[in-house]
Amino acid sequence: MQGTAKALPGAAHGPKVRARRESGLSIPTLWVTAAWRPRKERGSQPGTPGSEGGSGALSGKSFNSSRKGVPGGTGLGSRTQGGWGPGPGRVLLQVQAPGRGRGPRAGPAWEPGLRPLHPPALGSHARPLGYAQAPPRQIRLRSVPPPPARVYLPCRRRRSRRCWTRRPAPSHRPAARDWLSAVQSEGPERGRAFPAGAPEAGAPGCACAVRAAGLVPAELRSWAVVGQAWSVGSGSAAATGWGAACRMPEIRVTPLGAGQDVGRSCILVSIGGKNVMLDCGMHMGFNDDRRFPDFSYITRNGRLTDFLDCVIISHFHLDHCGALPYFSEMVGYDGPIYMTHPTQAICPILLEDYRKIAVDKKGEANFFTSQMIKDCMKKVVAVHLHQTVQVDDELEIKAYYAGHVLGAAMFQIKVGSESVVYTGDYNMTPDRHLGAAWIDKCRPNLLITESTYATTIRDSKRCRERDFLKKVHETVERGGKVLIPVFALGRAQELCILLETFWERVNLKAPIYFSTGLTEKANHYYKLFITWTNQKIRKTFVQRNMFEFKHIKAFDRAFADNPGPMVVFATPGMLHAGQSLQIFRKWAGNEKNMVIMPGYCVQGTVGHKILSGQRKLEMEGRQVLEVKMQVEYMSFSAHADAKGIMQLVGQAEPESVLLVHGEAKKMEFLKQKIEQEFRVNCYMPANGETVTLPTSPSIPVGISLGLLKREMAQGLLPSAKKPRLLHGTLIMKDSSFQLVSSEQALKELGLAEHQLRFTCRVHLHDSRKEQETAARVYSHLKSVLKDHCVQHLPDGSVTVESILIQAAAHSEDPGTKVLLVSWTYQDEELGSYLTSLLKKGLPQAPS
Amino acid sequence: MDPECSQLLPALCAVLADPRQPVADDTCLEKLLDWFKTITEAGSSLQLLQENPCLVELLCHVLKPQGLSARVLSFSLRLAGVFAAQESCFQYLQQAELLPGLFGEAGPLGQAAWSAPTVRSGWIQGLRSLAQHPSALPFLADCGTLDTIFSLQGDSSLFVASAAGQLLVHILGLSLQGPAEGPPSPQACDWPVCAQKIVGHIEGSLRSMATPQVTQALNVLTTTFGHCHGPWMQVLWERLSPLVACLLQEDPLPAAHSLVDLLLSVARSPVLSSSDCGLWETLAQTLRRLSPAQAGPLALGILKLQDCPQALRAQAFGVLLQPLACVLTAADQAPGPPGLPEGTTGDSVTVDTLLSSKSACAGLLCQTLAHLELLQPLPQRPSPWPQAPLLGAAVTILRFCNGSAAPASDVGGRLCAILAGCVRVQRAALDFLGALAQETGPQELVTQVSAVLLEYLRSPDSSPTVLKKAFQATLRWLLSSPRAPGCCDLDPDTQLFLRELLPVLRKRLCSPCWEVRDSGLEFLTQVTRHWGGQAGFRHALLASEVPELAEQLLRDPESYVRASAVTAVGQLSSQGLHATAASPEQLGGQKESLLAELLHVLSTDSEGFPRRAAMQVFTEWLRDRHADVAEDTERFVARVLQAASRDLDWEVRAQGLELALVFLAQTLGQPSARCPYAVAAPQATPPGPLAQALRALSRVRLFEFAFRALFDCDRPVAQKSCDLLLFLRAQATPSGGLQEAEGSPDVPEAVLAVLRSLDLEGLRGALAESSDHVEKSPQSLLQDMLATVGVRGENQADCY
Repeated sequence: MQGTAKALPGAAHGPKVRARRESGLSIPTLWVTAAWRPRKERGSQPGTPGSEGGSGALSGKSFNSSRKGVPGGTGLGSRTQGGWGPGPGRVLLQVQAPGRGRGPRAGPAWEPGLRPLHPPALGSHARPLGYAQAPPRQIRLRSVPPPPARVYLPCRRRRSRRCWTRRPAPSHRPAARDWLSAVQSEGPERGRAFPAGAPEAGAPGCACAVRAAGLVPAELRSWAVVGQAWSVGSGSAAATGWGAACRMPEIRVTPLGAGQDVGRSCILVSIGGKNVMLDCGMHMGFNDDRRFPDFSYITRNGRLTDFLDCVIISHFHLDHCGALPYFSEMVGYDGPIYMTHPTQAICPILLEDYRKIAVDKKGEANFFTSQMIKDCMKKVVAVHLHQTVQVDDELEIKAYYAGHVLGAAMFQIKVGSESVVYTGDYNMTPDRHLGAAWIDKCRPNLLITESTYATTIRDSKRCRERDFLKKVHETVERGGKVLIPVFALGRAQELCILLETFWERVNLKAPIYFSTGLTEKANHYYKLFITWTNQKIRKTFVQRNMFEFKHIKAFDRAFADNPGPMVVFATPGMLHAGQSLQIFRKWAGNEKNMVIMPGYCVQGTVGHKILSGQRKLEMEGRQVLEVKMQVEYMSFSAHADAKGIMQLVGQAEPESVLLVHGEAKKMEFLKQKIEQEFRVNCYMPANGETVTLPTSPSIPVGISLGLLKREMAQGLLPSAKKPRLLHGTLIMKDSSFQLVSSEQALKELGLAEHQLRFTCRVHLHDSRKEQETAARVYSHLKSVLKDHCVQHLPDGSVTVESILIQAAAHSEDPGTKVLLVSWTYQDEELGSYLTSLLKKGLPQAPS
Repeated sequence: MDPECSQLLPALCAVLADPRQPVADDTCLEKLLDWFKTITEAGSSLQLLQENPCLVELLCHVLKPQGLSARVLSFSLRLAGVFAAQESCFQYLQQAELLPGLFGEAGPLGQAAWSAPTVRSGWIQGLRSLAQHPSALPFLADCGTLDTIFSLQGDSSLFVASAAGQLLVHILGLSLQGPAEGPPSPQACDWPVCAQKIVGHIEGSLRSMATPQVTQALNVLTTTFGHCHGPWMQVLWERLSPLVACLLQEDPLPAAHSLVDLLLSVARSPVLSSSDCGLWETLAQTLRRLSPAQAGPLALGILKLQDCPQALRAQAFGVLLQPLACVLTAADQAPGPPGLPEGTTGDSVTVDTLLSSKSACAGLLCQTLAHLELLQPLPQRPSPWPQAPLLGAAVTILRFCNGSAAPASDVGGRLCAILAGCVRVQRAALDFLGALAQETGPQELVTQVSAVLLEYLRSPDSSPTVLKKAFQATLRWLLSSPRAPGCCDLDPDTQLFLRELLPVLRKRLCSPCWEVRDSGLEFLTQVTRHWGGQAGFRHALLASEVPELAEQLLRDPESYVRASAVTAVGQLSSQGLHATAASPEQLGGQKESLLAELLHVLSTDSEGFPRRAAMQVFTEWLRDRHADVAEDTERFVARVLQAASRDLDWEVRAQGLELALVFLAQTLGQPSARCPYAVAAPQATPPGPLAQALRALSRVRLFEFAFRALFDCDRPVAQKSCDLLLFLRAQATPSGGLQEAEGSPDVPEAVLAVLRSLDLEGLRGALAESSDHVEKSPQSLLQDMLATVGVRGENQADCY
């Protein structure tokens, strides 16, 4: 059994043991070579969110390596509380595909159909990772500089009981799924073949990880591990459509909306066999079914609630949450929905706002009702920032501050060691009431980021604000009225703070109004969620609540006809209905007045028309409204610009980046920039396209204390520069991996020990009796091998350590004796040496 | 096409054909295409093209390799398809060699733009529109189009791949629905070329060992059998069923999910289900082959079939019940069958699945419970329906989940460990338990149901979503509970249950989770609505503190809860169950206090939901002549209308008009029962002289409110006001009513004069149109698209 894994930088020793298969039989084993290195402290600090140490992987007491159990066990053990983030060191294991290595892979021992030497019983839930016919793989654990004591063990998946990947299986063999099912249901005793070179066997990237954090004391981090285990089975099956729930070492992302597109954000992510929907937005530009993402692509996978593990909403804007009540109350999703507390509180207001327009103003039937909005909100599980929320046993999510609007969050989605970060919309610069987005160095496998301003480096916000205030001021000074159409909550509050401060400073008297009673509502929410605002607002909150405006009053419809200057914030923001449109109609004819559009308007709305320069608008009843008032567009949307996006990528250090929520051309530019600067892959799938990323999921593996102690007793402690090998057997018990001594493994598995010995015949010219020959061999070896225990047994045989030498007569030549030499694989080197020594002949006996 | 649009079209086509002019908003192109579809459906496409040569020019432009944007390219392909859907126009475009250019090798297929999914999608959708007539078939068969569609079935874009499959189904249907007499022969060589190719491709795919290909073929067939009902379907199935049967022999079974869909689709097809074709045997075989999770949907599908052999139904039901049988067996302390239909015992495979992992266990149980819930109300559900064991299973699962079960067996213990605290299963089981309330069961089991529901309602571990389901299930069981014989009151068991339930409800109304308080209030409202008249319920409720708590929740910090509290106390009060109604001497003052409290909510609550709820309660009270209202109706109406007229929420104002209408009807006579807004002669005699009624309306300031609302910026409010005034005018003016009114010196003549002078019918017509009907017009669209050209792109991406 020979094979070498490709050396990685900082690799430990090569495979230490090589077995010859002279006997034609071999124990199916999986060689694990691991090397620990001390953690290099990087990035986040212990205690900060997301930087908790790797979790202790084992619960059983025999595996729970506590510091007191190991001399000098300090440091690492103290960082092993639950949570995510980099642990103390990381060790990678690579699997060499059968037949790809140098060793004699293609021999009959690996043919399908062979029965195991000692079929393991599957009692008490303990079972080997794989079984008999599986080809041996050489695994090497490598230390990778940055993080933690995680051992990445290549294997197909972490738990073979779960569902399987669905790749095409080669035609001549059954897909591994059923092989695995067979193993589970029938046990390997039936000798079902693990197909040689089974689908995906040894495929690059098919790695599962072993997290040893917390089990290995700091001083032992440089141990290399040679483990022995039954090989890990693999399974595959072909997928129909998106995301049949599978457990596979890959992450798949399919945008149903926001793929090379702005609006209707809805991104499906499949990670570690879990399916998550990120945002459930609507497109304001359509009035029919096209406004919602096409959910039929997921409903065809069966019941939605069974298929989707959760929905996550990043913030309350309708292009991120507008389809949620439709999805949950009309399409039939009944599972958990996660969002932050402010988002949960504000979402219904925005949804009600839209419902009013859709149902009552446009006369649309088949739309969600107020009751549905409430029922939907009751399914929401609200999360706090930096709170790790366990969706189920395997899936966890964590929210980070995103700026943008009150309550906006980025989410990290994590299954085992695989993780994806979804940013939603975010802002990397603080504004007047919100802070800047922040994420820790969580190094996700994938960062899904918005890219609205993929090519824009935005000018200073101060300039825009000054410009805005100047225009408002000038209009008011000349006696004109200013209309600012806004959406109920969001940027409106930012502009209110801006105007309020300015009014106060310049001591202006012209009234400012906010329509539809939202000032009060906004006040309520901003007070309630004051911790979500920026530092300045929080600090001054005690003296003065920034959201209790002195100059901004509630608007009454009758005020629109009042003479003199005024500023009015009115909803909706695109001038497509309601109060803002009514005021616009009244004021449009006067060139002294001004309308400032602070956000994007979809086609068809009056906002869109006036922004595109149309000045004669046909209204109901063939009336033509001539727009004489000034029309200004000022973007106050709080998205990260290209610089901010790059900053976030740098902050999170993802392995790959995926762009959504932007225009294709702009994304292309940013994609190249990210790839150049960060040397990571960047993707920009269109809606409906799936990006598949292979991952190296990690599986926690416990190492038994006994094993560690034994290894320590054998020699010097390892160091960062000099890792040591550690031998063990990797077993799976109750869904967890454990590296134990082979004796313990046998005990756990309820197996009897079989020994595999290699044999060799050496012919000696010696006409003496067998006993005498044996005695000569003994004396010779005794003199040569001074450091070894050489014994002459009563039955005439000679032993050197495990090596057994027996002398026999040659059947044909009486002048020749045959030395039968056998040895265990552990003593392979000595065995080989002895054989070669004996082949040279014995020294002449003194006559 | 109207002349204005015709005039704008050339300029627009020029913009679209110009690669330097980006079309930023893709919704515009979608809407433009919608408009062309509408035009072509109404008239001749050929004529349209001839009258607007710019359209053909646009299509010609696409043929030039000039770097058109993917969006415009996709749009043009779809547009060409829309035009070519009419045979005459198809010929015209063929002659101009436009179609081969657009859809053949020379078109986008060979260009770099093909890499954009939107172009591939446009290509497919164009062909889909085009393939409407037999003359399109040779075109499709000759240009290598079919091969491209075959390859697009495996496209990287879900949308494209799915559309390709749909297109194949469509072409197959079109080619086999030809003028050939009778069903086609089973020999493929006799079939039309397109059908031959497609069926050949499907056969090849079914023989393939690559699962994606098998899946694609199965999906195409599923849609085919679902949508096409021609006589050739039988021939097709006869030809393909052996291949499907071969799939069933494979180990492992490839594309099981798609296979299930196909078999059910075939079984539902009227052409095939009537003839046997060995279908039932195939279904039975498939049921045996599939894993428990895969077999569930097939079993449910079979049980929903109308005509299906009894043996197969029994087998399917057995499969469906397997997981519950396992649960019952695992929980059963005494040996013996769990009471399910004969042959349904928990098999080892199902047990293994349930025990394999938490998610597998939860998945299988949730699926099973949902399937049975769907099956339960259907007329074709299996009979006899095993109500008792199902109830037992639901209760057992719930007990496993909350840890209150004490299973005797090893499997039971492990199930318990797996299911402990599993919210997903709890929700599914509670839903199922609620559905089972439609029928009763043995008293012992009903008692168990009550007990387990109470356990869930009581448990501090129940999540808000679980509690909501528990409340819903409880409501269903309560409302289905039998009446005591010979009297209309509740039976003793229900009484007992209520006595235990109300303290739990009281506790839940104090929950820190608003969702729980809200669910509790919703439950209270529902149960009061149904049982408000039952003495037993009234007694139990009044003895509890629930009504007081409900009233306290009028001041809840969460607006949804305040709204639910308003509805609940409104309902309680309507039934005379309001907390403070208990003591007669305080009756008057405290009644006033509830009314005042609700008026306070209406006038001051910062959120719309409680104010809307208050308006609804007031309207109900007025309609039902609630005692509080009847005392001084005019004062009540005046105060409510005054508050509503000032409200910033349009729904509160609309609800105010609803209340005004009820008052109007009570004052002047009932409007038509069918439509309260219909203008019709009064059917009932006014309760008093008209003038007196009008004076009453005037006193409550109804006219002021209605006229103000007539010009409300929110259309539904204006619409409602318009209807109200029309009704008023109809009541006041015809059949001499007006003369009578005029005779009185106090008549609000001015009001009547205004009513007469207003063009209310015209206004109603204008309001009936949606507020954005102008913006939605094609002319507006064309203008917008043209106006957008050259406008800085910055506004485009900036969604919020």
